[in-house]
Formats: sequence, structure tokens, C-alpha cells
Amino acid sequence: MVHKRGRDLLQRWEHNPIITLENVPYQCNTVFNGTPVKLDGDYLLLLRVEGQQGYSFFCLARSKDGFHFCVDDRPCMLPAEDGPFKMWEENGLEDPRLTVIDERYYIMYTAVSRHGHRIALARTDDFETFERIALVSGPGNKDGVLFPEKFDGAYARLDRPLGNDVGSIWISYSPDLINWGRSELVIAPRRRYWDSTRIGASVPPIRTDRGWLEIYHGFKMTSAGPIYRVGTVMLDLDNPGEVIGRCLSPVLSPRREYERIGDVGNVVFASGAIVEDDGQVKVYYGAADTSICVATAHIDELVESCFESADSLSDDFCRPTCPYRQAARSA
Amino acid sequence: MTYRMTQKTERAQRQHNLRPTGQDVIHRCQDNPLITIEDLPSVCSDIWNAGVIRFQSEYLLLLTVETLEGSGCIYVAHSADGYEFFVEPEPFMTASEHGPFARYETFGIRDARIAKIDATYYITYVAGSESGERIGLARTNDFQSVERIQLISEPDTKNGALFSRKVAQRYAMLERPSAGGSIWLSFSDDLTHWGSSTIVLTPRSGYWDSNRVGPASPPIEIDQGWLLIYYGEKDTSAGPLVRLGAAILDRDDPSRVLARSNIPILAPRARYERIGDVGNVVFSCGALLEDGRELKVYYGASDSCICLGIGTLDDIIRVCRESREEF
Repeated sequence: MVHKRGRDLLQRWEHNPIITLENVPYQCNTVFNGTPVKLDGDYLLLLRVEGQQGYSFFCLARSKDGFHFCVDDRPCMLPAEDGPFKMWEENGLEDPRLTVIDERYYIMYTAVSRHGHRIALARTDDFETFERIALVSGPGNKDGVLFPEKFDGAYARLDRPLGNDVGSIWISYSPDLINWGRSELVIAPRRRYWDSTRIGASVPPIRTDRGWLEIYHGFKMTSAGPIYRVGTVMLDLDNPGEVIGRCLSPVLSPRREYERIGDVGNVVFASGAIVEDDGQVKVYYGAADTSICVATAHIDELVESCFESADSLSDDFCRPTCPYRQAARSA
Repeated sequence: MTYRMTQKTERAQRQHNLRPTGQDVIHRCQDNPLITIEDLPSVCSDIWNAGVIRFQSEYLLLLTVETLEGSGCIYVAHSADGYEFFVEPEPFMTASEHGPFARYETFGIRDARIAKIDATYYITYVAGSESGERIGLARTNDFQSVERIQLISEPDTKNGALFSRKVAQRYAMLERPSAGGSIWLSFSDDLTHWGSSTIVLTPRSGYWDSNRVGPASPPIEIDQGWLLIYYGEKDTSAGPLVRLGAAILDRDDPSRVLARSNIPILAPRARYERIGDVGNVVFSCGALLEDGRELKVYYGASDSCICLGIGTLDDIIRVCRESREEF
């Protein structure tokens, strides 16, 4: 399939958004950043709902086809009201990401309190009860996504600490999901690109033949605020801290009205994906921090997007081989 | 708050020419500054914050030296009496140029703190690079050779201060993540993977430590729990004022603050503390408790020289206790 200039690789579903606050059977402000899992042929989407009070919590939505969802009557996970997690969740739970490891469902989410953002980890077997495991980062860190496999016996995650005020994607390892270390920088923002200001992990990594496909988010600051877009990066299968390819252009950018207009306009923010048996990837994303949408591409296209140029890791926009430059020349 | 000198302090003052500049609980040594760049055998830009330990009947400092290029490295200084120091001609630790640490140490290494756990000396330091500031962990047995173990924080987290023994069967470390400017506590089974992080001490609005706080010397075990010397910053229109305070943490659960000084125990007042590359700074990476009664605080002044301040443990505990109702 040809990736035409100006057209995003990810194809929006024609009836987007798939979930808005109108679909939530109780009062709320917005619903966005949902993370999916396929369970016995059914699709479950764990949603971030922002209440009218201003803090967020989680609720489930269910679907037979991955496009038409029905939102549960009640939230499934609220900020802890007692115990050791209470003080860290006083301002809400944000941006869940689901990963299946050994047939157990793990949810990395952001716990928000007066002391900042921290990454927290919970687990469920039945999506009825959610067991909190641990807070797994210090403050100022978010966008934690867990790998679905272990590496030499160690769990691995990507996350987004702030170093020198720059938000980059890092990897950390753990023997027990509680203690984390051996952290390494994976990718940083790129000057002059669409992801020049800050980046972070979005979708839990997807295993492909060529490596781990990570669908991430990046933004570029403008005088009117940030523009959040979706990009792809390929990580080595055995050593996921090693980058083997990275997209030059985003695979999804805010263009539609529901992506431009909302509580936080000009935001598309992926937080989960389902790879179907035929290779179709359904990427679920929050639009303008106000609704949930879905867009699709074939897995091979997403993999290819990581290798857009032979030297895609270098700063080569102005090279004569750049497709944009060539197009301009021939015009 | 009034401060009355104890008998012990008076004696120490006679012995070591201590001068009570101002009324700080920690008294300045009259020989201050003990080490300046003039005492270094090579040309450099600055000398800062030193970790300290007693090693083979000597006092040993790990100095942060900033090269003329602007990168940080660490030198050893020895002393028989804790006052007169001899600086080794070659650096003890420099930024890694190869291997897995190199990319995180491109701006150099600094602020070494020393903790002796069992028979091993562990050094926590700040590794700086474009990617931010991280805590590095290294170990040595002889202060001749040093082996790096791991970088044990994500960015931006610095001021790693290890406890000198396991707490509740786990290694424990105080640290200062940049976000929020508070002191946190983390635990580890293996010194490589860390977790169970929790907050210990936060800035207090309206106080001298209103903007940021961080651990200064590694915690010192005393009868009342763990004595923590920490630094606090208050932002002024001319930049931050960095001072030292004290707190006592619970012996078995160091996230519990039992007492905390409402006043700083040392504030920049002397000329060498006011004037320097970064003026109005007193900052410590190490203190020694001697005979269980006298605390020697080695501190960097104005990021330009190394000084010594001495106080009695009784006085420090008293100023911590006087603010007890705050908790």
C-alpha cells in the first residue's frame, strides 16, 4: 500500500470517535486513552474517564467487533481510599496500559498526587477485581508500558522520566515487578522533527519478526501549545534497549475535527493496540483528551514505517534522497 | 531561637580554634577553608562537595573537582587529624569514556558520598549527561581502585545517600528526585534494582528550606534513630540560598520523620561561603560522628572550597527536638 504524502499511515475508522462521554452511562467530563485486550473473542477496553470533579479513574467498555463498544455502568478502578496507595492516587489514576504476561493481565498506570506523577502497577485475572502490586517509579515519571515477555528472566518496561527537562523513552528491568533498575535511554526527542520536544511510550510493545514494535507519542511545541502525534520505533528482540529503526514521519497526526477540538486540542495519543490474525492492527487512541477513536493499519506497514530511510536515525531531512525533496524537485 | 554553647563545644573551640560566626549550631573551623584549588597539584576550575570516611586511622575525603573544561571528577584527600589535608596528585575517579557508563557521564561525575556497609566502601555519585542527572554506585576496598556497579536511578534523581546497614533486611537509600524537590527513600535487595520508594521530607513554605531539600551526608545511626543532615534551598531574587539542616528518622522505618530542625544548623555567613562561583552555598556530602558526641561536617562553600564545621550531637538533637510539634 502506498503511503501518500499528507495521508497518515493509520487509517481512521469512518465512524470515529468510538466512545464519547455520551456513551458513558454516568456523569463525567471526558473519556480518553483506552487500552484494549481481546478476551475469548470479545474486546475489552479499559478507559480513562475524567470525572466532573477533575480527577480520572478507570472504567471498562466491551465490544464484539472492536469498533462498537458498550461502556459499563460503573467504574472498575477508583483512586485508593485507604492503604499505602491512597496518598499517591489522591489526584486520580491516568493512562492505563494493559499487558498480558503468562495469561495474567497487568495494568501500568499513572498515579497522580501532590507529590507528582508516578508509575503504578496493578493486576487482574477477571477484570472484576484489580490488585495493586506496587508503585514502580519515583515522581516525575509516567507512560510506563510493560513488555509481554521476559528477557533473561527479567521483566522489562519502557517509561518516560524527565532528564534535563527533556522527556525521553527509557527502559528498566526487574526481577520481581517491584524493584526496578539497569535503566537505559532508548530514544530521545529529535531536533526539527515532529517529535522534537518530548516523547513517551504509548502502546505496550508488539512482538514482530523484525523486532519489538513500539508505537510511541511525540510532540512538538508551537506558539499555540503542543501538537501530539503518533510514531513508531523498532527495538531489538533480545535486547529491547537497542533501537534498530525509527520512523521519520508520524503515522498519525491530529487532522479531524474531533482531534483538533476538545479539552486539549491537537492531540492524538495511542495507548493500546490489538493485532488481528490477518495482520490488521487496531490502534486505540484518545483524541483531544476528549474521546476515544480507533485507526488501523497492517502490521507490515507499521513495521516498514520504522525503516522509512536507511539512515533513519540520523538527521537527514535535507539529504537529496529525502522523498519530500525529490517530490519538490519533480514538481 | 537562642543558642547556648555546651561545655563540649567550648572545649572543642579551644582545641581547634572554632569560631562561632553568627549563632549557627555548627561552628566553623578557623582554618577554613581547609582545601582550595591552590592545594591541588593540577590546574582546575573549582573544588566542591566532599564525601568523608575514616579509613585506616586516616580521615579521607572524596573531593569533587571541576576541570577547566567544566567536567567533574573525584580526587582523594588524606589527613591524619581531619584538619590538614593532602590531596592526591591523580584523580581517584573520572568520567567513563568507554563502556556502559560513558553515555551517562559526558558532563562528568560529582558529589561522591561514602557509606561503609559491612567491609565494603560504597560510593554514590552524580552522573551528568545530556540525558540528565542519575545516581551512580561504585565500590572500593582500598580507595586506590574503584569499581562501578550500576547507575541506580532514572533521571533526574541525584543526591543518593546510602544507609550504612540494611534497614528491615534491605539496602536503603535517600535520594532527591528533581520533581517536587523532596527527599525520598528507596529500598533494594541487590543494590541494582530499587523500589518501594516513598517520600520522607518535603520543602516547607515560609521556612529557610521552602523550595527544595535533599540529603547531604549519608544517614548516621544514633541512639534516637538516624541523624540526617540535609540541605535546603530558598529562592531569592539573587538566586538560591543553600543551607544545612538536620532531622531524625525512625530507626526501623526511616520514612518516619521523628524531628526536624526549624532552623538551619549552618547557613552561609563567612566570606568564603558568600563569595565564589556559586555564592551563598553551604553543601555537605559527608559528616563524621566522633566519640558519639561531636559531629564533624565537611562542606563545600560557594562551590569553590572545602570547609569544616563542628557541632555537638546534643546541640543538633536539641534543635531537631525543639521543632518536634511540627510533626
